[in-house]
Amino acid sequence: MSNEILAILCLVSFFVLLTAGIPVALTLAVTGFFFGYLGFGDTLFQLLPARIFGVTGNYTMIAIPLFVFMGMMLEKSRVAEELMDVIGHLSGNLRGGMGVGIIVVGVLMGATTGIVGATVVTLGLLTLPALLRRGYDPKLACGAICASGSLGQIIPPSLVLILLGDILGQSVGTLFAAAMLPGLLLAGIYILYILMIGWLQPHRAPTVPLEERDALARKDLWIKVLKVGLPPIGLIVAVLGSIIGGIAAPTEAASMGALGSILVAAISRRFSLKVLRDTVLATAKTTAGMFFILICSQVFSLAFRGLQGEQLVHDLFELVPGGINADIWFMMLIIFVLGFFIEWIEISYIAVPLFLPILQNAGVDLVWVAVLIALNLQSSFLTPPFGWSLFFLRGVAPKSVATTDIYRGVIPFIFLQGVSLMLVFFYPKVATWLPKAIGW
Amino acid sequence: MGALLTLAGVLDRVVERVGRASAWTNFVLVVVMASNVLLRYAFNTGAVWAQELEWHLMSPIILLGMSYAIQQEGHVRVDFIFARFPHGVKASIEIVTHLLVLAMAVILVLLSIGYVGQSFAVGEGSPDPGGLPFRWVLKAFIPLGFALLAIQSSAAALRAMVSLATGTPLQAEIAPHGQEEAI
Amino acid sequence: APAIARAEKTYNWKMTNAYGPGSPFYVTGPGSPADFARMVREMSGGRLNIQQFAAGELIPALEGFDAVSKGTVEMNIGNAYFWAGKTFAAQYFTTVPFGLNFQGMTSWLYHGGGQKLWEELYAPFDLVPMSVGNTGIQMTGWFRKPINTVDDLKGLKMRIAGLAGKVYATLGVDVKLLPGGEIFPALERGVIDAAEFVGPYQDRRLGLQKAAKYYYTTGWHEPENVTELIVNRKAWESLPADLQAIVRAAASACTIISQSWCEATNAEALNDLVTNQGVIAQPLPDALVDKLAEATSQVLSDAVAKDPMVKKVHDSYFNFKATHDKWSGISEAVYQNQLRNRLKLT
Ligand code: NA
Ligand code: NA
Repeated sequence: MSNEILAILCLVSFFVLLTAGIPVALTLAVTGFFFGYLGFGDTLFQLLPARIFGVTGNYTMIAIPLFVFMGMMLEKSRVAEELMDVIGHLSGNLRGGMGVGIIVVGVLMGATTGIVGATVVTLGLLTLPALLRRGYDPKLACGAICASGSLGQIIPPSLVLILLGDILGQSVGTLFAAAMLPGLLLAGIYILYILMIGWLQPHRAPTVPLEERDALARKDLWIKVLKVGLPPIGLIVAVLGSIIGGIAAPTEAASMGALGSILVAAISRRFSLKVLRDTVLATAKTTAGMFFILICSQVFSLAFRGLQGEQLVHDLFELVPGGINADIWFMMLIIFVLGFFIEWIEISYIAVPLFLPILQNAGVDLVWVAVLIALNLQSSFLTPPFGWSLFFLRGVAPKSVATTDIYRGVIPFIFLQGVSLMLVFFYPKVATWLPKAIGW
Repeated sequence: MGALLTLAGVLDRVVERVGRASAWTNFVLVVVMASNVLLRYAFNTGAVWAQELEWHLMSPIILLGMSYAIQQEGHVRVDFIFARFPHGVKASIEIVTHLLVLAMAVILVLLSIGYVGQSFAVGEGSPDPGGLPFRWVLKAFIPLGFALLAIQSSAAALRAMVSLATGTPLQAEIAPHGQEEAI
Repeated sequence: APAIARAEKTYNWKMTNAYGPGSPFYVTGPGSPADFARMVREMSGGRLNIQQFAAGELIPALEGFDAVSKGTVEMNIGNAYFWAGKTFAAQYFTTVPFGLNFQGMTSWLYHGGGQKLWEELYAPFDLVPMSVGNTGIQMTGWFRKPINTVDDLKGLKMRIAGLAGKVYATLGVDVKLLPGGEIFPALERGVIDAAEFVGPYQDRRLGLQKAAKYYYTTGWHEPENVTELIVNRKAWESLPADLQAIVRAAASACTIISQSWCEATNAEALNDLVTNQGVIAQPLPDALVDKLAEATSQVLSDAVAKDPMVKKVHDSYFNFKATHDKWSGISEAVYQNQLRNRLKLT
């Protein structure tokens, strides 16, 4: 059997086994080992330890346990558990106000980190229980959290942009500037959507009941705002401020957030050895559980590479009619489809170098292309069956939330990501204006 | 049955003890990285080994923690079809799953021992003068971590077998990778 | 007698690379590893096909040494000093602070016994090494503030790795390790005060000129930089003599083509940086260079004392350099000082 057919079978089996309920990590490993062995025997698997060491030794990934620690500390010390309630009170009659709050917090957290998982975990821990208690539709709540969490990959700093800068040969600074407005545009689109839902389907995004709002005196509300709003905002300032203020490099800034969360808990007199122990245990479970999947995905990626999966993509490309726009759309389609199966790092390595010579020959603005790719890659976090945001939220969501709620909840947001992609495609200035304006 | 559960209990305790101890590495990471940042900012000083320690700590966090994570929260899976299966089917899938994970763990232990050996044979250290020595120790967390996974999946397979035979609920039914406490 | 048909066996090899996809010089472009693979394929009439995998595609950046040593992958591209943690003498086959420049290094490797020592050093690992590229002289790096005295180095936060980092540290520099992608944001925000990368062309690609304006050009830490090809010994010995010769020829062709490409592109990039982007390019002050040389001497003699193989390589390298210095002092140096600027075209 030819390697290309094996590569296709590998993808199909992955899809089937995953949907049937075989654990994600095992599915990745089993399909990888099986089809890889059929295609090239056992030689390439000798490279697995090196790839695993590459995962555990990846410097930028240090931010994951640090941000998860920060989120867990906020949750275990209960200093920010009323955050959503306060946002609900502040939004008054505005239906969907708490949902908008999620997007805003996601933007702020996205500006502090390029790690999607950490944002989804923090948002899931701090906001989901409150939203459900307030009668939000679990689908809307979960979709908003996953989408909001993935904003961190387009709003700088961003791991996606750093990798794309490397592959496309563009300055990371230019890409950071170029992605700023498209990221905010996307956040704006999310907000409009949530407000629209609140307007058209009020039961899915209710307000805090009027009696309850009236019961809380204005003065008490503002005291509450200060008490529950300051800690998370303080942490965002600590992380973002340490980057902008030249104290810490982007990955290091995560440690300022983690340290800050301990200080916040201590100042609120909620810090204890028990809280610290609960925090490290919860951090260990979430972080190691996620990395276990990443390690198992090394088997799958290695097999896909060994079976010349990139050749498969290349051959499909031959079918595309001429014209650079058709090429770009085809690349976007490939990236989107690959996003169902594999994660963004592998997609970047497989798809982008393949199209790079064509883009260069056509003289396309690579900064613009990088932003299109980054916007598109966000969907890979949300598209089932293999989507990091989905797994992360499942890991921290209460048992009452069905997995289907998460999977169905993200669909409208994937569509909205498509809308933002269209806007940047047809109005390239959204991406190219800012870098020129500030001279990056 | 009782003997199987006792054996599973012993194996699980090993995984849990290692997992709970290694979890503190997360706190060590916070302290190490934050001190590196603050010392550099305040006193313009820092050591190469201390910076290398940051990513070195990731190995125990990930590799010693992963079996503990699976033990406590179960495997991450797409469960909307799985949840509808009758108990017998679920239990059978669980047994096969854990046995396959066991096989995978054993394969990775075998694959990685040679990799650690290569490093040990030359006394590999950091390529950076002033960096940390004994890189083979760092690499040794790979076979160690997967050996723990083999222990964990053996215990889980035993429990699933007992569950299939006796009809008691599976771990995947009790705590499907979620928090135990209800909202 | 009837001509004996030679068995036209085809070899399909994998070559991993320590640098990421798309990197000019290190992965693609004239004289790059991609160019090397193309030359070999064409010269061999398609009998030796080398498929290149950039960092991360098959294995992470720095895993090539072990993979080729084991024979899972036949070839790897990188720099020998990446393996200094496995065998310290590897450092000498990339670059030595205050050591040989491109002309001296290639002379030592090809005609001064360097290549033989390199093979001896790698024999225990079952590796056959050779030069497949060279960046030529590299730049001190980018500084946010001017450096006038040795005191300006005290507490200076600089992104620099390896032996040079160790030398800087002895002069009070706070050495910071950072991955390539974080150099720009860190330098731009002042997390670090200075950063070393490669040379004008590669540095401009990272946008470092937008983060710091002072570009020091004294390439004391890397007067040249060899791109290394390593081949698994069993795989190498399985090649017929003509294919081995083709690999060696393509590798030395790429060494010269890549180095001359760097000369050409760096010239253009430096001109652009200085004339269009407000960069101030200048050498380090002499007094400071003296201090760096003293510190380097100490760091090297410490390393020599620890390992007889390092001493063997060190002695060969510096004995060759001593003789070569006399020659280049009356030829190259005189050209630079007396001849280069003389001719005024009318
Ligand atoms: Na971000
Ligand atoms: Na996906």
